[in-house]
Amino acid sequence: MLEVHEVTKTYDDRAVVNAVSFDVQPGEIFALLGPNGAGKTTLIRMITDILKPDSGTITLNGAAVGGDLKRRIAYLPEERGLYRRMRVTDALSYYGELKGMSRQAARSAAASLLDRVALRESANLQVQALSKGMQQKLQLCTALIGDPKLLILDEPFTGLDPINVQLFEEVLQERRAAGATVLLSTHQMNKVEQLCDRALMINRGHMVLYGEVREIRRRYAGHAVRLRASAMPDSAPGVTSIAEINGEHELTLASDATPAAVLRALLDRGANVESFALSSLPLEDIFVRVVQEGVGLDRGQSGPPTVDVPLRSGGAR
Amino acid sequence: MKFSISRALTIARREYRTTIRRKAFLFSVLFTPAYFAFVMWMSIKPQVDEQVRALKNFNTLGVVDSSGAFASVPDEIRSEISPDENPFQRAAPGAAAPKAPAAATLFRTRVRVLPDQAAGEAALRAGQINQLLVIPSNYLATGKLRRYALKNNLFSSAEERPVSRWLVRALLAGSVDSLRIERAARPSRGMALYTLNREGQFELKDSSRELLDFLLPFMLGMLLSMCIVTAGQYLLQGVAEEKESRILESLLCTVSAEDLMAGKLIGLGGAALTLVGCWVAMGAAFSAPAALFAQLHFTPLLIAAMLAYLLLGFLFYASLMTGIGAITNNIREAQQFAFMFTFANFVPFIMMRAILGRPDGSLAVGLSMFPPTAQTTMMLRLSAPGSAVPGWQIALSLTLLAVTAVFTLKIAARVFRVGLLMYGKTPNLPEILRWARQG
Repeated sequence: MLEVHEVTKTYDDRAVVNAVSFDVQPGEIFALLGPNGAGKTTLIRMITDILKPDSGTITLNGAAVGGDLKRRIAYLPEERGLYRRMRVTDALSYYGELKGMSRQAARSAAASLLDRVALRESANLQVQALSKGMQQKLQLCTALIGDPKLLILDEPFTGLDPINVQLFEEVLQERRAAGATVLLSTHQMNKVEQLCDRALMINRGHMVLYGEVREIRRRYAGHAVRLRASAMPDSAPGVTSIAEINGEHELTLASDATPAAVLRALLDRGANVESFALSSLPLEDIFVRVVQEGVGLDRGQSGPPTVDVPLRSGGAR
Repeated sequence: MKFSISRALTIARREYRTTIRRKAFLFSVLFTPAYFAFVMWMSIKPQVDEQVRALKNFNTLGVVDSSGAFASVPDEIRSEISPDENPFQRAAPGAAAPKAPAAATLFRTRVRVLPDQAAGEAALRAGQINQLLVIPSNYLATGKLRRYALKNNLFSSAEERPVSRWLVRALLAGSVDSLRIERAARPSRGMALYTLNREGQFELKDSSRELLDFLLPFMLGMLLSMCIVTAGQYLLQGVAEEKESRILESLLCTVSAEDLMAGKLIGLGGAALTLVGCWVAMGAAFSAPAALFAQLHFTPLLIAAMLAYLLLGFLFYASLMTGIGAITNNIREAQQFAFMFTFANFVPFIMMRAILGRPDGSLAVGLSMFPPTAQTTMMLRLSAPGSAVPGWQIALSLTLLAVTAVFTLKIAARVFRVGLLMYGKTPNLPEILRWARQG
């Protein structure tokens, strides 16, 4: 289990990561979310022991990260790079050797990983001869070689075609099934909804959301309703926007509006409502609201904000 | 993360193999010595050829003597180019160079006395004579002469020396005996120079040895510099390329910055040693003065000092280059920063004349104590003819270099650790100093 406790990192008297705490269970895919510049990369660099926190602790299965434990942590960074002039097999087995494998074991592991991502036929090519997508698959393999216990992936799906996206998802599920802890940092919220059990969102170094993905969506459900109506007014009190989706109307509610009050207002304005249901907001909309509208932040504080969604340290599903 | 020698060696192996398999490495091995040989050949050969050609074509000298001092002139001028002056001259057949040097090349010029300047100029224009020497009536009082030629070759004065000797012989002819005339024409031809050797004995300084006396310090200093600078360039390029191509982040998740830096120092230092080793081997195997190498006198002190300066100089420069590679954003920026440090390594060559002329002078001693120039200067001093560098100077120089190298290595490791993942603006000096403190 990965445990991050009260971790803080400061640059030039500015807290880039401020008292962040969370845990990720074995066999769990955990989302690390946040806008650009939120402090995600710094947090990941501290988890991978590239940077040292100013305060707080980071442990993996009870031991502080670093030392030989580093070999059990793999990281696929957003800014990807490979040795372009190396052969595919050599590049991959090099990472295996750096993780403490013998040369023979590294080459054997490299061969099976290349098989898994359908790169076997390119094994003897130079890396620079591969397409961008193939290089990305190779980069994933460099993270997977050595059977890491903690796998950190930063925007792994960027630039991949749908088939390779599916391949990456399958590989992640396989690692989860094998008991690995997976930390996924992405802006693709649909992937978070699809793959992740829990999520942490940070903004300007502070935790702003933390909990199960379903719980987060349920918490924000009250702010949107979906209805089917044959006659529909253009506006209504407490409604900030109306969108038509597949013959239904999705109404986004103002933060002080309640669904019952909105329904009453619609009926008063002559709407012929056939169906009415609370709509759970897509995670993407929650992300935007939290970042742009400061939802969940205690604006009375200049320091660390409070967290809107109750903290729940859920286990693996 | 603790430093791991096995990870460092894995990195070193990759760095070494990748570097020596590059086409650029093979190109450097083969073409750098060829390029230097070509440049030297191009700079010396035309001059020698011009000198030989000028004397070869100098068949007839016209003389108009209005002074009457050259009444009974020798009708022939003999001149020669010695093998020392013409390194391209082939040795005598069957001779094993350089023990049996080739004989001097002899040239003869006929002297034709002409009645006046007009006749002389006409003969020159008609091609009957190659040059015209006009000796005015007041020559003995003023020493002034006029020489006429059809072409003005700024770079050739080959004909001047034999004409001067002829003038001496002609002036003295009839006044003194022929032996004195010969001595007056070339008074110091047979002068032997004895200089104090390292053992404190006066030793005959022969002309063939002179080349070796120059070659040894130059060669050792240059090899040391090339090795250090090449390794530094490999490091600079390697770090800058890895930073530019964003490989480092995934690498640093697996290894520590110390593993990475140590691996690069070992691997790329080894690649530079291999490169210079290939040059030495090629030089010994193919160059004409191969036998000269056999005569070079490498003392144990010289070899030990060379190894010590090589190691410490490499550590110093390689650390600098690694740090520069880490703080810059791309290879072009890195090379701009590195230039001033690389240049310092070659400063002793610019001042070589002063250093070899006075190996124990204050300039030479000062440069051999200053870490950026210490290794090259001390190599020049140690191998300079007749130089006896005091032991305390070597010890002090090595100590200063070692302390500086270790200090630079530590600072570079800190800057390397922080700078590797910093992209965008190149840091200013205060920022670099802060990295050095915090890294």
